[in-house]
Amino acid sequence: MSPQILAIILSVAMLVVVLVLLRFYFLPEKYAVIWLVAALVSVVLAIFPSLLDAIATFFGIAQPINLLFVAGFFIVLLLLMQLSLELARTREQLRKVVQSVAADMEQRSHDDR
Amino acid sequence: MKTLIAIPAFNEEASIGAVLAELAGHHPMEHVIVIDDGSRDATSTIARDAGVRVIRHSVNLGVGAAMGSAFKYAARNGYEALVQLDADGQHRPEFLSVLLDRVGSADIVVGSRFAGGGEFRSTWARRNVQRVIAWTVSAYARTRLTDVTSGFRVAGPKAIQLFAEHYPVEFLGDTVESIVLASRHGLSVAEVPVVMNERAGGLPSQSIFRATLYTGRILLILVLAGFRSSPPSIVDMKKRAKRESAA
Repeated sequence: MSPQILAIILSVAMLVVVLVLLRFYFLPEKYAVIWLVAALVSVVLAIFPSLLDAIATFFGIAQPINLLFVAGFFIVLLLLMQLSLELARTREQLRKVVQSVAADMEQRSHDDR
Repeated sequence: MKTLIAIPAFNEEASIGAVLAELAGHHPMEHVIVIDDGSRDATSTIARDAGVRVIRHSVNLGVGAAMGSAFKYAARNGYEALVQLDADGQHRPEFLSVLLDRVGSADIVVGSRFAGGGEFRSTWARRNVQRVIAWTVSAYARTRLTDVTSGFRVAGPKAIQLFAEHYPVEFLGDTVESIVLASRHGLSVAEVPVVMNERAGGLPSQSIFRATLYTGRILLILVLAGFRSSPPSIVDMKKRAKRESAA
């Protein structure tokens, strides 16, 4: 079996997973774009690997596979950064919500007396 | 018909007082609710002093989430119609009766600036983008709609039930997506011509970059809305209804 077939199967599987997650509202629109783009790019590259060679030549990279590693690593770093920022924002919101619920509960027990 | 007026507000202390004062002449104030979406100014205080009910979010969640809270409140308190009215003074209360008159024959009635033949006064590109959005949403709703991003609208009993379970929360997409969601669940949508005031604040899309981002977002939402199934909470609601009718 040619390794290209494996690449196509894997990338199409990823695209299907993204679409299914979107369809059943597990993946919100906010994150849909980046995952759709990632999945589509990998499908295109799997079908036309010569594209990778052309881009590598353009950037003067001798081994096209290195371009794939550098680009992939960079995109994963960006996704991680986005996750960290989201987590920080969510923690901040959680803190505010807990504090305001606590304040309301105290107020209520005070009013009951 | 028991009608609730819901006003989503985020940092609107400059205009909310005047909006409520004008509304007082058109609707009983005990059936008005302001959803303060985590404002850091005096929005809640001004609204309470005006004698209306206030739901206050402790963090800013966006207009869609504010309307979600309004629909949950309406469903819980047995309202048969819910009017959305903006806090910036853009929507005129004298058109309330025009909207409410139509809610018997349609599940959602949208107040349209352009239904009376008015045009979107803007650049050629933006006018056409608005046209494409309106055309796409009209296709989903199977009726001609001219002002799908209008937030001045009424939801009837069926729409209140649906939106109390799920209201779209994506930033700037809630107006468009809610129409598509309602149409896909068999609800009817109609529009009536209204006149609106100039917004006190700026348009959400001032620069070209922001306008493009905004349009791209809405088009993506429209594509996704056609492809998506029902949100999980609505699926649950339907299952509950089926069980109850079987029992």
